[in-house]
Amino acid sequence: MAAVTQAAPERIAPPRRPRVVFKGATVWRWVVLIVAAVYFLLPLWAALRFAGIGAFGSVISQPGFTSSLALSVRLAILTTLITIALMLPTTVYVHLRLPKLRRLLEGITILPIVIPPVVLIVGVLAIAPGFLKGTSWLLALAYVVLAMPFTYRALDAGLRALDLKTIVEASNSLGAGWLSTLWRVLLPNLRTALLSATVLCVALVLGEFTMASLDLYQTFPVWIYVNSQTSGQVSVAASLLALFVTWIFLLGITVLGTRQSRKTGGGEVTLFTVARTETRGN
Amino acid sequence: MTTNTARDGASTAATTGQAEPGRGTSVRLQDLTRAFGTTRALDGLSIEMAPGELVALLGPSGCGKTTALRIVAGFETADTGSVLVDGKDISSVPAARRDMGMVFQSYSLFPNMSALDNVGFGLRMRKIGAGERRKRAGDLLDMVGLAPQASQYPHQLSGGQQQRVALARALAIRPRVLLLDEPLSALDAKVRLQLREQIRTLQQQLGTTTLFVTHDQEEALSMADRVGVMSNGRLEQIAAPDELYTDPATAFVAEFVGVMNRIPGELRGDGQVAALGSTIPVRGHRPEDTAVDVLVRPEGLRLEVVENGNGIVTTRTFLGSVTRVHVRLSGDIAVQVDKPSAESAALAPGASVAVSLPAQPVLVAARRVS
Repeated sequence: MAAVTQAAPERIAPPRRPRVVFKGATVWRWVVLIVAAVYFLLPLWAALRFAGIGAFGSVISQPGFTSSLALSVRLAILTTLITIALMLPTTVYVHLRLPKLRRLLEGITILPIVIPPVVLIVGVLAIAPGFLKGTSWLLALAYVVLAMPFTYRALDAGLRALDLKTIVEASNSLGAGWLSTLWRVLLPNLRTALLSATVLCVALVLGEFTMASLDLYQTFPVWIYVNSQTSGQVSVAASLLALFVTWIFLLGITVLGTRQSRKTGGGEVTLFTVARTETRGN
Repeated sequence: MTTNTARDGASTAATTGQAEPGRGTSVRLQDLTRAFGTTRALDGLSIEMAPGELVALLGPSGCGKTTALRIVAGFETADTGSVLVDGKDISSVPAARRDMGMVFQSYSLFPNMSALDNVGFGLRMRKIGAGERRKRAGDLLDMVGLAPQASQYPHQLSGGQQQRVALARALAIRPRVLLLDEPLSALDAKVRLQLREQIRTLQQQLGTTTLFVTHDQEEALSMADRVGVMSNGRLEQIAAPDELYTDPATAFVAEFVGVMNRIPGELRGDGQVAALGSTIPVRGHRPEDTAVDVLVRPEGLRLEVVENGNGIVTTRTFLGSVTRVHVRLSGDIAVQVDKPSAESAALAPGASVAVSLPAQPVLVAARRVS
């Protein structure tokens, strides 16, 4: 088959306007940056001084270190999987079929943020069925509630960046059923949003203390706290270690996600918004 | 609106628009109704499409044309009525199994797939092997002139290119029916014109029965074998473009398609109408009220330069072979008259002219209070 008409090359959008930078703005930017850096880095540096390099070596050999870290990682994975499995279909369905409920859903997802964790965990313990008590599933389920707002927001931002209805209908008209559409069309386009959701879930679970301690689980943060009663230096070293490990982990996810999505114009992985590149020209 | 270009395009389409017999699929919309709340989007719509035919549904926004298309595609369900494809009722068949290629108004390419993978998606869903799939997708991209862009992602393509990939994607599955939902309306004028011709050429080459929804009359008249004009969920008239223009069935069609003058007249008991000092027969629907407007196209009015005529030329626009003359008649009525440019030298603004009606029967409509 030959080309029917050779269309003339189409217009291409003009190059991006160079950003105007005022000198005053640059100075202020540096001032803000330095103040923020001091505010965040000074305590870290102080903690490092207090713990001493030697304490890092003994952290790993402390009783309970491995088991509490393993519990936290298991909880992070469980929570992330359950939350996404629940929230992805829900958010897609609401966007597609019940757009009027979007505001209501947004309202609901605010609740876990405004209700104190103490109240939540007491409630969860009161109604949890017996077979769940004492298992890591119980805490994971409670964390799902905590993680829901963040996951919803990340997915919501990702879905807003897509012309969901048109894309789903296009996929349908080409012969893809619901499962194929979700798997082959929606998931790849929501990769950035899903990575954001994962980042948020993992960070939340690795840092949560109130619920775990009230429910008598020795997660990593709880273990650090318990240890600080006996050995201050070791516990500070442990929290620094946790901080760096989490940070590197999150950085890895973000960089990986951004690199993958940039290829398809999917925008960078930021926690709440997904900026999609606009179609250029006509 | 540029009536003349529309007309030229229309007559070309009418002469070349005959699909070869034996190809394509027949489609029949049967008495479709659909209500959203209290608004009736469709109110008994019936259309029959011959195999290989391109039918355009034309109408103002909210007239139900998109709803009709979406019912054929399977994205909406009709309250009553049915859609028959090759004589079989497909009302209960889900969209994914209707074998209909669709091109949407907004950009609908999958952002995570290259142009080639987008075009191959429908084939992949049909479990066609990778080699065959790439070959067919490549052929189709070649057909829309985008072979060099095969490995680019949608965000790297311009809007016009994206719609061409979308067209290739819709055609890749060798659809029984091609559905076009205002595919050109997001594009700028030049690209729109190019793509319009490309769609029509491909459609005729492949003989695919096509339903095309648009609010742009020029698009409808220039591309379609037949144009259905819709208003308030009903089909006002469906006819070949030239027939629609020269012989509109209703006042709505007459005014929606092309430029139409309204000249106040008085309906008389003998089925004639008196306007501009002459009395001429009326055809079509007669309103109950005797105060009516006579509907005449710019090229239908007669115009002469005379001393103390019934009008004064206000502006004159050169359109190539014809010149459009705007005349203000006594009683503050503005009309437009088309004259061959060769005869319009004397029609300068300020010239006194006599405007009169043709002798042929005219359409009338209830007088519009302005």
